[in-house]
Amino acid sequence: MLKRRILSPKLARNLEGMLFIAPWLIGFLVFLAFPLGFSLFMSFHKVKVLPSGMQYDFNGVNYYREILFNSSEFYDKLIPYFQEVVIMVPIIIIFAFLIAISLNQKLRGRFMFRAIFFLPVIFSTGYLLTEFVNQGEGSLGFLERFALGAYLDDFLGDSSWGQPIKTLLNRFVLVLWYSGVQILIFLAGRQTIPISAYESARIDGASPWEIFWKITLPAMSPFILLNLIYTVVDMFTFPFNPVIKLIGTGNYGYSSALSWIYFVIIIVFLLLVLLTFIKVNKTQRLAKS
Amino acid sequence: MRTDIQPVESNHPSKMSKQLIKDKSPKDKYYYTDKARTAKYMILGREVNEGLLFKIFLYVVFIATSYIFLNPIIKMMVNMVMSTSDLMNPTVTWIPTKIYWGQLQTAWEMLNYPRAVMVSLVIALSTSVFHVISCGLAGYALARLQFPFKKLVFGLLLLAFIIPPQVIILPTIIAYTNLGLNNSIVTLIIPSILGFGVKGALFVIIFRQFFATQPKELEEAAKIDGATAFKFYFKVMLPLAKPAILVVFLFSFVWTWNDTYFPQMFLSDSLFLPLASETLQLDKLITSLVETQQISSQDAGAIKMAASFLVILPPLLIFLVFQRHFVEGVERTGLVE
Repeated sequence: MLKRRILSPKLARNLEGMLFIAPWLIGFLVFLAFPLGFSLFMSFHKVKVLPSGMQYDFNGVNYYREILFNSSEFYDKLIPYFQEVVIMVPIIIIFAFLIAISLNQKLRGRFMFRAIFFLPVIFSTGYLLTEFVNQGEGSLGFLERFALGAYLDDFLGDSSWGQPIKTLLNRFVLVLWYSGVQILIFLAGRQTIPISAYESARIDGASPWEIFWKITLPAMSPFILLNLIYTVVDMFTFPFNPVIKLIGTGNYGYSSALSWIYFVIIIVFLLLVLLTFIKVNKTQRLAKS
Repeated sequence: MRTDIQPVESNHPSKMSKQLIKDKSPKDKYYYTDKARTAKYMILGREVNEGLLFKIFLYVVFIATSYIFLNPIIKMMVNMVMSTSDLMNPTVTWIPTKIYWGQLQTAWEMLNYPRAVMVSLVIALSTSVFHVISCGLAGYALARLQFPFKKLVFGLLLLAFIIPPQVIILPTIIAYTNLGLNNSIVTLIIPSILGFGVKGALFVIIFRQFFATQPKELEEAAKIDGATAFKFYFKVMLPLAKPAILVVFLFSFVWTWNDTYFPQMFLSDSLFLPLASETLQLDKLITSLVETQQISSQDAGAIKMAASFLVILPPLLIFLVFQRHFVEGVERTGLVE
């Protein structure tokens, strides 16, 4: 009561809000902002672990230069991985979208299918996935049965895309397995489109094909963006992400520099996704009007 | 979908009966054309997406994809109950000649299963409880309360969502080492107290979206009653937020349970490893056993499958219990609005 008399209502409201957000903000400073700054600091320093503590010697951009120009890790592991991500993300999004749209039909047993498609979210522990790939359970069996590998070699020639595509085909099932949450998001997004929109379109004589392109797809576009970002973020801890193995406690400075390069690529990637998305949306709106 | 068809269907017979009166034709003639039309509608449908043909097509797609999805899991379960002779025998692929529990037993012992399950349970349960509490508070503040720099804080939240754990892991390890917490399972729980840890930012977003969809009148009524924000939050908002709480709790539990990255980095030589990390130890052990030829590689594969099965068994049971809530909860949290 005392508090209320002294503080103006606006200030009191702000204080309440600050109290609610304070734990998270402290957490942000402790668990994110500080480590982020410190890893940036370490990436410019040679870090030595001495019995008396850590010693940091300024190293400039040497580690960055080393990674970008003198090491195999960046070009042999990081770049192919990003190529895989570039292929994987559209596959996951399109697959999840089609499955979600189909699951939205009133079908008997769709709850069972929903459960099946969601099941991998429970399963996707790194060990299990790597084990499946090692024992050859990850592929669809295409590659061997139709000698797809040879075709791919012919088709792609020596381009750097051949290998990433082949590794992906070898664990194609697991790529599909990574679409559980995306299917959920699309399913939930599909519920936000009012039935009346479909009814009026049908009365106007639109074919299902037109309805899909003119109603379902535009209304779903925010969820496509959401899923794009989610999928990219989800790939951070994809068990086949080589960065997980590359960043260790062996050489703090070098690893930090590598992680920052990785982070910058991710940000550029997300920005590209965002820009394309905005552009596509704009042209679509123009075409409509 | 059903509702919009109703008027058409009810129209149908009445039109028919009018025609009947006009033409005075035998009843059964129209009876048959009517039948034929319904049959046509049944197969092709009034709309493409209502016909039997389309439904069959969907079922074929669903069953095929389900098969692709479930194939590795079924293979895993079959493999782990096969005896050595079955594993060696190439004619035995799907049905083992007899059920053999030896592989499961070996995996159970190698994983220190009871202890590892306890460790994992402690970590996953406490993490998910803390996530519900801390992310709920932050989500509510971002959705409903006023405070300075709110937009900036929301920006920070999105930033937190997209920062890869690989960037921040090394300083965190150094900090934990300096605090003497290294190799303690506490390291995996602490971040969740303040709303971080495995996908913490996502849970804040989920709560924020949920609270943003609740009616505004609730707070106005509470303000007139003179209730403080805390009282209102715990007495009114939290009970309303059951679907969001369930979703965050279940996802947090499952993802923390399955996470191998943080334990691998923080608990490099701890005795008490969570289950998912215990598998990595088992992997090393089995590889060395195969190299020294103490067990065959087929057996090794089967033991690994058995171990994987044991790891996913607890979350699987939870999933089977809460399966509906997982799916419907996400729809109801308004995560997508």
